Amino acid sequence: MLLTELEARNFRNVRGKTVCGSGLNILLGDNGQGKTNWLECIHILATTRSFRTSKLSESIRFDEPSALLVGKIQVSEDIAHELRAVIEGTSKAFSVNGKRETIQRYLGELHAVVFNADELEVVRGTPENRRRFLDDSITAIHPPYVQTTADYSKIVRQKNSLLQNARDRELSLEKISEALAPWNEQLVSVASKVHRSRVRIVERLNSALAKGLFGEEKIAIRYLSSLEDKGDLNDYEALITERLEMRVQAEMVAGHSLIGPHRDDLEITLNGRDIRKFGSSGQQRSALLLLQLANIEIFFEQRGEYPLFLLDDIDAELDYRRIGQLLEYLSGRTQTFVTTSKESFADEFGSLATIMRVKDGEITPSLSTVQSAGM
Amino acid sequence: MLDYSEPVARLIDEFKRLPGVGHKSAQRLAFYILRRPKTEIDAFVESLREVKEKIVFCSTCNNLTDVDPCLYCANPKRDRSIVCIVEEPYNLVAVEKTRSFRGLYHILHGSLSPIRGVGPDELMIANLLPRLLPENNDGVEVQEIIIATNPTTEGEATANYIARLLKPLGVRCTRIAMGMPVGSDLEYVDEVTMDKALANRHEM
Repeated sequence: MLLTELEARNFRNVRGKTVCGSGLNILLGDNGQGKTNWLECIHILATTRSFRTSKLSESIRFDEPSALLVGKIQVSEDIAHELRAVIEGTSKAFSVNGKRETIQRYLGELHAVVFNADELEVVRGTPENRRRFLDDSITAIHPPYVQTTADYSKIVRQKNSLLQNARDRELSLEKISEALAPWNEQLVSVASKVHRSRVRIVERLNSALAKGLFGEEKIAIRYLSSLEDKGDLNDYEALITERLEMRVQAEMVAGHSLIGPHRDDLEITLNGRDIRKFGSSGQQRSALLLLQLANIEIFFEQRGEYPLFLLDDIDAELDYRRIGQLLEYLSGRTQTFVTTSKESFADEFGSLATIMRVKDGEITPSLSTVQSAGM
Repeated sequence: MLDYSEPVARLIDEFKRLPGVGHKSAQRLAFYILRRPKTEIDAFVESLREVKEKIVFCSTCNNLTDVDPCLYCANPKRDRSIVCIVEEPYNLVAVEKTRSFRGLYHILHGSLSPIRGVGPDELMIANLLPRLLPENNDGVEVQEIIIATNPTTEGEATANYIARLLKPLGVRCTRIAMGMPVGSDLEYVDEVTMDKALANRHEM
Protein backbone atom coordinates (compact mmCIF):
# COMPACT_ATOMS: atom_id res chain seq x y z
CA MET A 1 0.00 0.00 0.00
CA LEU A 2 1.31 3.37 -0.97
CA LEU A 3 0.12 6.85 -0.15
CA THR A 4 1.58 9.18 -2.74
CA GLU A 5 -0.06 12.50 -1.94
CA LEU A 6 -1.70 13.99 1.09
CA GLU A 7 -3.77 17.13 1.51
CA ALA A 8 -5.85 18.59 4.34
CA ARG A 9 -8.24 21.53 4.65
CA ASN A 10 -9.75 22.92 7.83
CA PHE A 11 -8.55 19.95 9.82
CA ARG A 12 -7.27 21.11 13.23
CA ASN A 13 -4.36 23.47 12.55
CA VAL A 14 -3.02 21.72 9.47
CA ARG A 15 -3.07 22.94 5.89
CA GLY A 16 -1.29 22.34 2.65
CA LYS A 17 -0.38 19.45 0.50
CA THR A 18 2.57 17.16 0.19
CA VAL A 19 3.88 14.25 -1.80
CA CYS A 20 4.99 11.23 0.21
CA GLY A 21 7.99 8.96 -0.23
CA SER A 22 7.49 5.27 -0.75
CA GLY A 23 9.75 4.28 2.13
CA LEU A 24 10.48 6.30 5.24
CA ASN A 25 8.83 9.69 5.68
CA ILE A 26 10.01 11.94 8.50
CA LEU A 27 7.68 14.68 9.69
CA LEU A 28 10.00 17.15 11.33
CA GLY A 29 9.04 20.19 13.37
CA ASP A 30 8.94 21.76 16.82
CA ASN A 31 6.38 20.69 19.36
CA GLY A 32 2.86 21.98 18.86
CA GLN A 33 3.30 22.62 15.13
CA GLY A 34 0.90 19.88 13.96
CA LYS A 35 3.03 16.83 13.17
CA THR A 36 0.73 14.46 15.02
CA ASN A 37 -2.27 16.09 13.35
CA TRP A 38 -0.83 15.11 9.97
CA LEU A 39 -0.32 11.56 11.19
CA GLU A 40 -3.92 11.60 12.36
CA CYS A 41 -5.02 12.65 8.85
CA ILE A 42 -3.32 9.59 7.39
CA HIS A 43 -4.85 7.38 10.04
CA ILE A 44 -8.36 8.67 9.34
CA LEU A 45 -7.93 8.21 5.59
CA ALA A 46 -6.75 4.64 6.23
CA THR A 47 -9.10 3.47 8.97
CA THR A 48 -11.92 6.10 9.01
CA ARG A 49 -11.14 6.58 12.70
CA SER A 50 -8.94 8.92 14.65
CA PHE A 51 -6.37 7.47 17.01
CA ARG A 52 -6.99 10.37 19.39
CA THR A 53 -10.66 11.15 19.71
CA SER A 54 -13.95 9.47 19.08
CA LYS A 55 -15.48 12.89 18.49
CA LEU A 56 -14.21 13.80 15.06
CA SER A 57 -16.36 16.93 15.06
CA GLU A 58 -13.80 18.48 17.42
CA SER A 59 -11.18 18.23 14.72
CA ILE A 60 -12.90 20.69 12.37
CA ARG A 61 -11.22 24.07 12.50
CA PHE A 62 -13.09 26.65 14.53
CA ASP A 63 -15.64 28.64 12.48
CA GLU A 64 -15.45 26.27 9.52
CA PRO A 65 -18.41 24.01 8.57
CA SER A 66 -16.38 20.99 7.53
CA ALA A 67 -12.93 19.49 7.19
CA LEU A 68 -11.57 17.72 4.13
CA LEU A 69 -8.79 15.16 3.84
CA VAL A 70 -7.54 13.93 0.50
CA GLY A 71 -5.09 11.12 -0.13
CA LYS A 72 -3.87 9.65 -3.39
CA ILE A 73 -2.93 6.01 -3.24
CA GLN A 74 -1.15 3.84 -5.76
CA VAL A 75 -3.16 0.63 -6.01
CA SER A 76 -0.98 -0.91 -8.70
CA GLU A 77 1.53 0.39 -11.18
CA ASP A 78 -1.11 1.91 -13.41
CA ILE A 79 -3.98 2.42 -11.02
CA ALA A 80 -4.28 5.31 -8.58
CA HIS A 81 -7.23 6.03 -6.33
CA GLU A 82 -8.17 9.32 -4.76
CA LEU A 83 -9.52 8.91 -1.23
CA ARG A 84 -11.53 11.68 0.37
CA ALA A 85 -12.79 12.06 3.90
CA VAL A 86 -15.26 14.84 4.65
CA ILE A 87 -15.99 15.56 8.29
CA GLU A 88 -19.08 17.67 8.77
CA GLY A 89 -20.62 18.15 12.20
CA THR A 90 -20.83 14.74 13.77
CA SER A 91 -20.94 12.87 10.49
CA LYS A 92 -18.17 11.69 8.22
CA ALA A 93 -18.28 10.63 4.61
CA PHE A 94 -15.72 8.70 2.63
CA SER A 95 -15.32 8.49 -1.09
CA VAL A 96 -13.08 6.75 -3.61
CA ASN A 97 -12.47 8.53 -6.92
CA GLY A 98 -15.28 10.95 -6.17
CA LYS A 99 -17.79 8.24 -5.41
CA ARG A 100 -19.17 7.92 -1.93
CA GLU A 101 -18.62 4.51 -0.33
CA THR A 102 -19.99 2.82 2.77
CA ILE A 103 -17.40 2.58 5.51
CA GLN A 104 -17.25 -1.17 5.14
CA ARG A 105 -16.37 -0.96 1.46
CA TYR A 106 -14.05 1.98 1.97
CA LEU A 107 -12.01 0.14 4.57
CA GLY A 108 -10.37 -2.14 2.02
CA GLU A 109 -8.57 0.76 0.30
CA LEU A 110 -5.84 1.60 2.76
CA HIS A 111 -4.74 0.24 6.10
CA ALA A 112 -2.47 1.67 8.78
CA VAL A 113 -0.95 0.37 11.98
CA VAL A 114 -0.09 2.99 14.58
CA PHE A 115 2.50 3.11 17.33
CA ASN A 116 2.16 5.92 19.85
CA ALA A 117 1.95 6.57 23.58
CA ASP A 118 -1.79 5.85 23.71
CA GLU A 119 -1.35 2.45 22.09
CA LEU A 120 0.89 1.51 25.03
CA GLU A 121 -2.33 0.94 26.92
CA VAL A 122 -2.52 -2.33 25.01
CA VAL A 123 0.48 -3.53 26.99
CA ARG A 124 -0.05 -1.85 30.31
CA GLY A 125 -3.69 -0.78 30.42
CA THR A 126 -6.93 -2.58 31.17
CA PRO A 127 -8.03 -5.85 29.47
CA GLU A 128 -10.45 -3.85 27.34
CA ASN A 129 -7.49 -2.40 25.42
CA ARG A 130 -6.11 -5.84 24.69
CA ARG A 131 -9.47 -7.16 23.53
CA ARG A 132 -9.74 -4.18 21.19
CA PHE A 133 -6.22 -4.85 19.93
CA LEU A 134 -7.14 -8.44 19.06
CA ASP A 135 -10.47 -7.46 17.51
CA ASP A 136 -8.75 -4.80 15.37
CA SER A 137 -6.16 -7.34 14.21
CA ILE A 138 -8.89 -9.76 13.21
CA THR A 139 -10.93 -7.09 11.42
CA ALA A 140 -7.88 -5.96 9.44
CA ILE A 141 -7.60 -9.38 7.80
CA HIS A 142 -11.25 -10.42 7.99
CA PRO A 143 -13.56 -7.37 7.66
CA PRO A 144 -16.88 -9.20 8.27
CA TYR A 145 -15.72 -9.69 11.86
CA VAL A 146 -16.86 -6.09 12.46
CA GLN A 147 -20.42 -7.38 12.41
CA THR A 148 -19.61 -10.17 14.85
CA THR A 149 -18.23 -7.76 17.47
CA ALA A 150 -21.10 -5.32 16.90
CA ASP A 151 -23.64 -8.12 17.33
CA TYR A 152 -21.88 -9.38 20.41
CA SER A 153 -21.87 -6.05 22.21
CA LYS A 154 -25.50 -5.49 21.23
CA ILE A 155 -26.53 -8.83 22.70
CA VAL A 156 -24.61 -8.08 25.91
CA ARG A 157 -26.26 -4.66 26.18
CA GLN A 158 -29.73 -6.13 25.68
CA LYS A 159 -28.99 -8.81 28.20
CA ASN A 160 -27.67 -6.30 30.74
CA SER A 161 -30.81 -4.26 30.40
CA LEU A 162 -32.89 -7.39 30.97
CA LEU A 163 -30.85 -8.41 34.03
CA GLN A 164 -31.01 -4.96 35.55
CA ASN A 165 -34.73 -4.84 35.08
CA ALA A 166 -35.15 -8.33 36.54
CA ARG A 167 -33.14 -7.34 39.59
CA ASP A 168 -35.15 -4.19 40.16
CA ARG A 169 -38.44 -6.04 39.82
CA GLU A 170 -37.22 -9.05 41.82
CA LEU A 171 -38.39 -11.57 39.25
CA SER A 172 -38.32 -15.28 40.07
CA LEU A 173 -35.37 -17.33 38.83
CA GLU A 174 -37.63 -19.29 36.54
CA LYS A 175 -39.06 -16.15 34.95
CA ILE A 176 -35.67 -14.57 34.37
CA SER A 177 -34.25 -17.81 32.91
CA GLU A 178 -37.11 -17.85 30.47
CA ALA A 179 -36.54 -14.24 29.43
CA LEU A 180 -32.79 -14.74 29.14
CA ALA A 181 -32.98 -17.90 27.04
CA PRO A 182 -33.38 -16.32 23.59
CA TRP A 183 -30.54 -13.88 24.28
CA ASN A 184 -28.25 -16.52 25.76
CA GLU A 185 -28.79 -18.81 22.81
CA GLN A 186 -27.58 -16.07 20.48
CA LEU A 187 -24.81 -15.11 22.86
CA VAL A 188 -23.50 -18.69 22.75
CA SER A 189 -23.20 -18.72 18.98
CA VAL A 190 -21.70 -15.23 18.62
CA ALA A 191 -19.42 -15.67 21.67
CA SER A 192 -18.11 -18.92 20.19
CA LYS A 193 -17.28 -17.07 16.99
CA VAL A 194 -15.47 -14.32 18.91
CA HIS A 195 -13.59 -16.89 20.99
CA ARG A 196 -12.58 -18.92 17.95
CA SER A 197 -11.42 -15.86 16.01
CA ARG A 198 -9.39 -14.50 18.92
CA VAL A 199 -7.73 -17.84 19.67
CA ARG A 200 -6.82 -18.14 16.01
CA ILE A 201 -5.38 -14.61 15.71
CA VAL A 202 -3.33 -15.20 18.87
CA GLU A 203 -1.87 -18.32 17.24
CA ARG A 204 -0.99 -16.36 14.14
CA LEU A 205 0.48 -13.45 16.08
CA ASN A 206 2.54 -15.91 18.14
CA SER A 207 3.98 -17.60 15.10
CA ALA A 208 4.94 -14.17 13.71
CA LEU A 209 6.41 -13.20 17.09
CA ALA A 210 8.38 -16.45 17.21
CA LYS A 211 10.27 -15.43 14.08
CA GLY A 212 12.02 -12.88 16.29
CA LEU A 213 11.25 -10.10 13.84
CA PHE A 214 14.02 -8.00 15.21
CA GLY A 215 16.02 -7.72 18.39
CA GLU A 216 16.61 -10.26 21.09
CA GLU A 217 13.51 -9.97 23.27
CA LYS A 218 11.23 -12.99 23.23
CA ILE A 219 7.63 -11.88 23.46
CA ALA A 220 4.82 -14.40 23.61
CA ILE A 221 1.09 -13.96 24.05
CA ARG A 222 -1.64 -16.22 25.34
CA TYR A 223 -5.38 -15.76 25.13
CA LEU A 224 -6.86 -15.82 28.61
CA SER A 225 -10.44 -16.95 28.41
CA SER A 226 -12.51 -16.10 31.45
CA LEU A 227 -13.76 -19.70 31.29
CA GLU A 228 -10.26 -21.14 31.32
CA ASP A 229 -10.42 -23.10 34.58
CA LYS A 230 -14.12 -23.86 34.22
CA GLY A 231 -13.94 -26.79 31.83
CA ASP A 232 -12.90 -27.89 28.35
CA LEU A 233 -12.23 -24.85 26.16
CA ASN A 234 -12.00 -27.04 23.07
CA ASP A 235 -15.73 -27.43 23.27
CA TYR A 236 -16.35 -23.75 23.96
CA GLU A 237 -19.96 -23.84 22.88
CA ALA A 238 -20.89 -26.55 25.35
CA LEU A 239 -18.84 -24.94 28.09
CA ILE A 240 -20.34 -21.48 27.80
CA THR A 241 -23.85 -22.93 27.49
CA GLU A 242 -23.33 -24.81 30.73
CA ARG A 243 -21.84 -21.78 32.52
CA LEU A 244 -24.66 -19.51 31.41
CA GLU A 245 -27.25 -21.93 32.76
CA MET A 246 -25.37 -22.35 36.00
CA ARG A 247 -24.85 -18.66 36.67
CA VAL A 248 -28.26 -17.16 35.99
CA GLN A 249 -28.75 -16.23 39.61
CA ALA A 250 -25.30 -14.64 39.91
CA GLU A 251 -25.92 -12.62 36.74
CA MET A 252 -29.24 -11.46 38.08
CA VAL A 253 -27.72 -10.38 41.40
CA ALA A 254 -24.95 -8.55 39.55
CA GLY A 255 -27.45 -6.97 37.16
CA HIS A 256 -25.18 -7.53 34.17
CA SER A 257 -23.64 -10.29 32.03
CA LEU A 258 -20.87 -12.17 33.79
CA ILE A 259 -20.14 -14.87 31.22
CA GLY A 260 -18.55 -14.41 27.83
CA PRO A 261 -15.54 -13.12 25.90
CA HIS A 262 -16.19 -9.55 27.06
CA ARG A 263 -14.47 -10.72 30.26
CA ASP A 264 -11.44 -12.23 28.53
CA ASP A 265 -7.88 -10.93 28.45
CA LEU A 266 -4.59 -11.40 26.68
CA GLU A 267 -1.45 -12.31 28.57
CA ILE A 268 1.74 -10.77 27.21
CA THR A 269 4.98 -12.23 28.49
CA LEU A 270 8.61 -11.28 28.05
CA ASN A 271 10.91 -14.25 28.61
CA GLY A 272 8.07 -15.94 30.45
CA ARG A 273 7.18 -13.06 32.80
CA ASP A 274 4.02 -10.96 32.65
CA ILE A 275 5.14 -7.73 31.04
CA ARG A 276 2.31 -5.65 32.43
CA LYS A 277 3.47 -6.32 35.98
CA PHE A 278 7.20 -6.92 35.60
CA GLY A 279 8.30 -5.19 32.42
CA SER A 280 10.19 -1.90 32.44
CA SER A 281 8.61 0.86 30.45
CA GLY A 282 11.25 0.35 27.73
CA GLN A 283 10.38 -3.34 27.57
CA GLN A 284 6.70 -2.50 27.36
CA ARG A 285 7.39 -0.26 24.38
CA SER A 286 9.39 -3.00 22.69
CA ALA A 287 6.58 -5.46 23.35
CA LEU A 288 4.02 -3.19 21.72
CA LEU A 289 6.32 -2.62 18.78
CA LEU A 290 6.82 -6.35 18.32
CA LEU A 291 3.08 -6.93 18.51
CA GLN A 292 2.49 -4.28 15.87
CA LEU A 293 5.17 -5.77 13.64
CA ALA A 294 3.53 -9.17 14.05
CA ASN A 295 0.26 -7.53 13.00
CA ILE A 296 1.94 -6.11 9.94
CA GLU A 297 3.34 -9.52 8.99
CA ILE A 298 -0.03 -11.23 9.39
CA PHE A 299 -1.62 -8.55 7.26
CA PHE A 300 1.02 -9.22 4.61
CA GLU A 301 0.48 -13.00 4.76
CA GLN A 302 -3.22 -12.48 4.21
CA ARG A 303 -3.29 -9.61 1.74
CA GLY A 304 0.04 -9.83 -0.04
CA GLU A 305 0.87 -6.21 0.74
CA TYR A 306 1.99 -4.24 3.76
CA PRO A 307 -0.10 -1.64 5.61
CA LEU A 308 1.25 1.83 6.35
CA PHE A 309 3.09 2.14 9.64
CA LEU A 310 2.67 5.35 11.65
CA LEU A 311 4.99 6.11 14.57
CA ASP A 312 4.26 9.19 16.60
CA ASP A 313 7.05 10.93 18.50
CA ILE A 314 9.37 8.08 17.66
CA ASP A 315 12.43 9.23 19.57
CA ALA A 316 10.47 9.82 22.76
CA GLU A 317 9.26 6.25 22.65
CA LEU A 318 12.38 4.39 21.49
CA ASP A 319 16.16 4.82 21.74
CA TYR A 320 18.30 5.29 18.62
CA ARG A 321 19.60 1.73 18.72
CA ARG A 322 16.08 0.30 18.58
CA ILE A 323 15.00 2.87 16.00
CA GLY A 324 17.92 1.84 13.81
CA GLN A 325 16.96 -1.83 14.02
CA LEU A 326 13.33 -1.00 13.44
CA LEU A 327 13.86 1.18 10.39
CA GLU A 328 16.17 -1.39 8.88
CA TYR A 329 13.51 -4.02 9.35
CA LEU A 330 10.76 -1.85 7.89
CA SER A 331 12.76 -0.75 4.89
CA GLY A 332 11.51 -2.55 1.79
CA ARG A 333 8.37 -3.52 3.66
CA THR A 334 6.08 -0.74 4.84
CA GLN A 335 5.62 2.84 3.83
CA THR A 336 6.44 4.45 7.16
CA PHE A 337 5.60 7.85 8.64
CA VAL A 338 7.38 9.03 11.78
CA THR A 339 7.22 12.32 13.65
CA THR A 340 10.11 13.88 15.52
CA SER A 341 11.14 17.26 16.86
CA LYS A 342 14.87 16.54 16.68
CA GLU A 343 16.98 17.69 13.76
CA SER A 344 19.57 15.15 14.87
CA PHE A 345 17.06 12.40 14.13
CA ALA A 346 16.80 13.56 10.54
CA ASP A 347 20.59 13.75 10.32
CA GLU A 348 20.93 10.22 11.63
CA PHE A 349 18.19 8.45 9.67
CA GLY A 350 17.22 10.90 6.94
CA SER A 351 19.59 9.84 4.20
CA LEU A 352 17.08 7.58 2.48
CA ALA A 353 13.98 9.31 3.76
CA THR A 354 11.55 11.92 2.54
CA ILE A 355 11.67 14.77 5.00
CA MET A 356 8.62 16.97 5.48
CA ARG A 357 8.83 20.04 7.62
CA VAL A 358 5.78 20.99 9.63
CA LYS A 359 5.51 24.55 10.83
CA ASP A 360 2.39 26.25 12.11
CA GLY A 361 0.33 23.42 10.63
CA GLU A 362 1.75 23.83 7.16
CA ILE A 363 3.62 20.94 5.59
CA THR A 364 6.48 21.39 3.12
CA PRO A 365 8.41 18.55 1.59
CA SER A 366 12.15 19.14 1.48
CA LEU A 367 13.22 19.88 -2.06
CA SER A 368 15.92 17.26 -2.30
CA THR A 369 13.51 14.41 -1.74
CA VAL A 370 10.54 15.41 -3.82
CA GLN A 371 11.55 13.26 -6.79
CA SER A 372 11.60 10.07 -4.75
CA ALA A 373 7.85 10.21 -4.38
CA GLY A 374 7.11 10.17 -8.08
CA MET A 375 7.91 6.43 -8.26
CA MET B 1 -41.49 34.78 21.77
CA LEU B 2 -42.64 32.36 19.10
CA ASP B 3 -41.11 32.51 15.63
CA TYR B 4 -44.53 31.98 14.09
CA SER B 5 -48.08 32.72 15.08
CA GLU B 6 -49.45 30.13 17.46
CA PRO B 7 -51.45 27.93 15.03
CA VAL B 8 -48.46 27.63 12.70
CA ALA B 9 -46.09 26.90 15.57
CA ARG B 10 -48.43 24.22 16.83
CA LEU B 11 -48.66 22.58 13.41
CA ILE B 12 -44.87 22.56 13.15
CA ASP B 13 -44.69 20.92 16.58
CA GLU B 14 -47.14 18.26 15.49
CA PHE B 15 -45.17 17.48 12.35
CA LYS B 16 -42.01 17.23 14.39
CA ARG B 17 -43.50 14.30 16.29
CA LEU B 18 -43.52 12.23 13.11
CA PRO B 19 -40.63 9.80 12.67
CA GLY B 20 -37.85 11.12 10.47
CA VAL B 21 -39.12 14.70 10.50
CA GLY B 22 -36.85 17.36 11.95
CA HIS B 23 -37.47 21.04 12.48
CA LYS B 24 -36.73 22.15 8.93
CA SER B 25 -38.89 19.46 7.31
CA ALA B 26 -41.68 20.26 9.75
CA GLN B 27 -41.53 23.93 8.72
CA ARG B 28 -41.63 23.02 5.06
CA LEU B 29 -44.60 20.71 5.56
CA ALA B 30 -46.49 23.33 7.57
CA PHE B 31 -46.07 25.96 4.87
CA TYR B 32 -47.01 23.48 2.21
CA ILE B 33 -50.26 22.85 4.10
CA LEU B 34 -50.90 26.60 4.36
CA ARG B 35 -50.65 27.00 0.60
CA ARG B 36 -53.04 24.18 -0.31
CA PRO B 37 -56.79 24.80 -0.98
CA LYS B 38 -59.16 24.07 1.89
CA THR B 39 -60.86 21.12 0.13
CA GLU B 40 -57.56 19.31 -0.13
CA ILE B 41 -56.82 19.85 3.55
CA ASP B 42 -60.28 18.61 4.49
CA ALA B 43 -59.64 15.40 2.58
CA PHE B 44 -56.28 15.05 4.30
CA VAL B 45 -57.79 15.55 7.75
CA GLU B 46 -60.57 13.14 6.90
CA SER B 47 -58.11 10.45 5.84
CA LEU B 48 -56.24 10.86 9.11
CA ARG B 49 -59.46 10.56 11.10
CA GLU B 50 -60.64 7.61 9.06
CA VAL B 51 -57.46 5.63 9.44
CA LYS B 52 -57.72 6.00 13.19
CA GLU B 53 -61.43 5.18 13.35
CA LYS B 54 -61.68 2.36 10.86
CA ILE B 55 -58.39 0.51 11.10
CA VAL B 56 -58.27 -2.19 13.75
CA PHE B 57 -56.07 -5.17 14.47
CA CYS B 58 -57.26 -8.42 12.94
CA SER B 59 -58.30 -10.54 15.91
CA THR B 60 -56.59 -13.59 14.41
CA CYS B 61 -53.31 -12.37 12.92
CA ASN B 62 -52.97 -8.77 14.24
CA ASN B 63 -52.73 -7.34 10.74
CA LEU B 64 -54.03 -3.81 10.28
CA THR B 65 -57.43 -4.06 8.63
CA ASP B 66 -60.78 -2.36 8.21
CA VAL B 67 -62.65 -5.67 8.36
CA ASP B 68 -62.14 -8.28 11.04
CA PRO B 69 -60.98 -10.95 10.25
CA CYS B 70 -58.65 -9.42 7.68
CA LEU B 71 -58.64 -10.26 3.96
CA TYR B 72 -55.93 -12.89 4.38
CA CYS B 73 -57.51 -14.68 7.32
CA ALA B 74 -60.97 -14.60 5.69
CA ASN B 75 -59.78 -15.85 2.30
CA PRO B 76 -60.86 -19.53 1.88
CA LYS B 77 -58.18 -20.05 -0.78
CA ARG B 78 -55.29 -19.45 1.65
CA ASP B 79 -53.54 -22.49 3.08
CA ARG B 80 -54.44 -22.55 6.76
CA SER B 81 -51.86 -25.21 7.64
CA ILE B 82 -48.91 -22.83 7.35
CA VAL B 83 -48.33 -19.57 9.23
CA CYS B 84 -45.63 -16.99 8.58
CA ILE B 85 -44.62 -14.78 11.53
CA VAL B 86 -43.36 -11.27 10.77
CA GLU B 87 -42.47 -8.20 12.84
CA GLU B 88 -44.45 -5.46 11.09
CA PRO B 89 -47.39 -5.17 8.69
CA TYR B 90 -45.05 -3.90 5.95
CA ASN B 91 -43.03 -7.12 6.34
CA LEU B 92 -46.22 -8.98 5.46
CA VAL B 93 -46.46 -6.90 2.31
CA ALA B 94 -42.88 -7.84 1.41
CA VAL B 95 -43.60 -11.56 1.77
CA GLU B 96 -46.91 -11.21 -0.03
CA LYS B 97 -45.24 -9.57 -3.03
CA THR B 98 -43.48 -12.84 -3.79
CA ARG B 99 -46.89 -14.39 -4.58
CA SER B 100 -45.33 -17.72 -3.66
CA PHE B 101 -46.57 -17.81 -0.09
CA ARG B 102 -50.20 -18.85 0.16
CA GLY B 103 -50.47 -19.42 3.89
CA LEU B 104 -51.58 -17.18 6.74
CA TYR B 105 -49.66 -14.57 8.72
CA HIS B 106 -49.08 -13.53 12.28
CA ILE B 107 -47.83 -10.03 13.01
CA LEU B 108 -45.94 -9.31 16.21
CA HIS B 109 -45.79 -5.52 15.90
CA GLY B 110 -42.19 -5.32 17.02
CA SER B 111 -39.27 -7.41 18.21
CA LEU B 112 -37.80 -8.18 21.62
CA SER B 113 -35.55 -5.41 22.89
CA PRO B 114 -35.02 -5.09 26.65
CA ILE B 115 -33.17 -1.80 26.07
CA ARG B 116 -36.30 -0.25 24.59
CA GLY B 117 -38.45 -1.96 27.20
CA VAL B 118 -39.96 -4.43 24.77
CA GLY B 119 -40.47 -7.86 26.33
CA PRO B 120 -42.74 -10.73 25.20
CA ASP B 121 -45.72 -9.01 26.85
CA GLU B 122 -45.29 -5.95 24.64
CA LEU B 123 -45.41 -8.06 21.47
CA MET B 124 -48.67 -9.39 20.07
CA ILE B 125 -47.82 -12.96 20.90
CA ALA B 126 -50.56 -13.91 23.37
CA ASN B 127 -53.04 -14.81 20.64
CA LEU B 128 -50.54 -16.94 18.70
CA LEU B 129 -50.87 -20.27 20.52
CA PRO B 130 -54.69 -20.28 20.73
CA ARG B 131 -55.12 -19.55 17.03
CA LEU B 132 -53.00 -22.57 16.10
CA LEU B 133 -55.52 -24.99 17.63
CA PRO B 134 -57.57 -26.73 14.92
CA GLU B 135 -60.86 -25.62 16.55
CA ASN B 136 -59.82 -22.00 16.06
CA ASN B 137 -58.46 -22.62 12.57
CA ASP B 138 -61.47 -23.95 10.65
CA GLY B 139 -60.58 -27.45 11.81
CA VAL B 140 -57.23 -27.38 10.01
CA GLU B 141 -54.11 -28.54 11.83
CA VAL B 142 -51.13 -26.20 11.46
CA GLN B 143 -48.17 -28.08 9.94
CA GLU B 144 -45.50 -25.43 9.80
CA ILE B 145 -44.59 -22.04 11.27
CA ILE B 146 -42.17 -19.91 9.26
CA ILE B 147 -40.41 -17.30 11.38
CA ALA B 148 -39.58 -14.33 9.18
CA THR B 149 -38.37 -11.79 11.74
CA ASN B 150 -35.49 -9.51 10.70
CA PRO B 151 -31.91 -10.83 10.64
CA THR B 152 -30.88 -8.49 13.49
CA THR B 153 -29.95 -9.47 17.03
CA GLU B 154 -33.45 -8.40 18.13
CA GLY B 155 -35.13 -10.32 15.31
CA GLU B 156 -33.05 -13.42 16.11
CA ALA B 157 -33.92 -13.25 19.80
CA THR B 158 -37.59 -12.94 18.88
CA ALA B 159 -37.36 -15.92 16.52
CA ASN B 160 -35.65 -17.84 19.25
CA TYR B 161 -38.28 -16.98 21.81
CA ILE B 162 -41.10 -18.07 19.53
CA ALA B 163 -39.38 -21.32 18.60
CA ARG B 164 -39.12 -22.14 22.31
CA LEU B 165 -42.74 -21.23 22.82
CA LEU B 166 -43.87 -23.53 20.01
CA LYS B 167 -41.66 -26.46 20.90
CA PRO B 168 -44.14 -28.21 23.26
CA LEU B 169 -46.72 -28.18 20.45
CA GLY B 170 -44.50 -30.29 18.25
CA VAL B 171 -45.29 -28.15 15.21
CA ARG B 172 -42.55 -27.79 12.61
CA CYS B 173 -40.76 -24.46 13.01
CA THR B 174 -38.55 -22.95 10.29
CA ARG B 175 -36.47 -19.78 9.95
CA ILE B 176 -36.10 -17.94 6.63
CA ALA B 177 -32.63 -18.27 5.05
CA MET B 178 -30.03 -15.49 5.04
CA GLY B 179 -27.53 -14.83 2.30
CA MET B 180 -27.20 -13.60 -1.25
CA PRO B 181 -29.82 -11.34 -2.76
CA VAL B 182 -31.00 -12.93 -5.99
CA GLY B 183 -30.27 -11.29 -9.34
CA SER B 184 -27.38 -9.25 -7.99
CA ASP B 185 -23.73 -9.62 -8.73
CA LEU B 186 -21.43 -11.26 -6.17
CA GLU B 187 -19.31 -8.16 -6.42
CA TYR B 188 -21.98 -5.94 -4.95
CA VAL B 189 -22.72 -8.01 -1.88
CA ASP B 190 -21.26 -6.73 1.37
CA GLU B 191 -18.77 -8.94 3.17
CA VAL B 192 -21.02 -9.75 6.10
CA THR B 193 -23.81 -11.07 3.87
CA MET B 194 -21.30 -12.94 1.75
CA ASP B 195 -19.89 -14.49 4.91
CA LYS B 196 -23.37 -15.67 5.94
CA ALA B 197 -24.07 -16.98 2.45
CA LEU B 198 -20.83 -18.98 2.47
CA ALA B 199 -21.62 -20.40 5.89
CA ASN B 200 -25.13 -21.40 4.77
CA ARG B 201 -24.10 -22.91 1.41
CA HIS B 202 -25.79 -26.12 0.31
CA GLU B 203 -25.01 -29.31 -1.60
CA MET B 204 -25.71 -29.37 -5.34
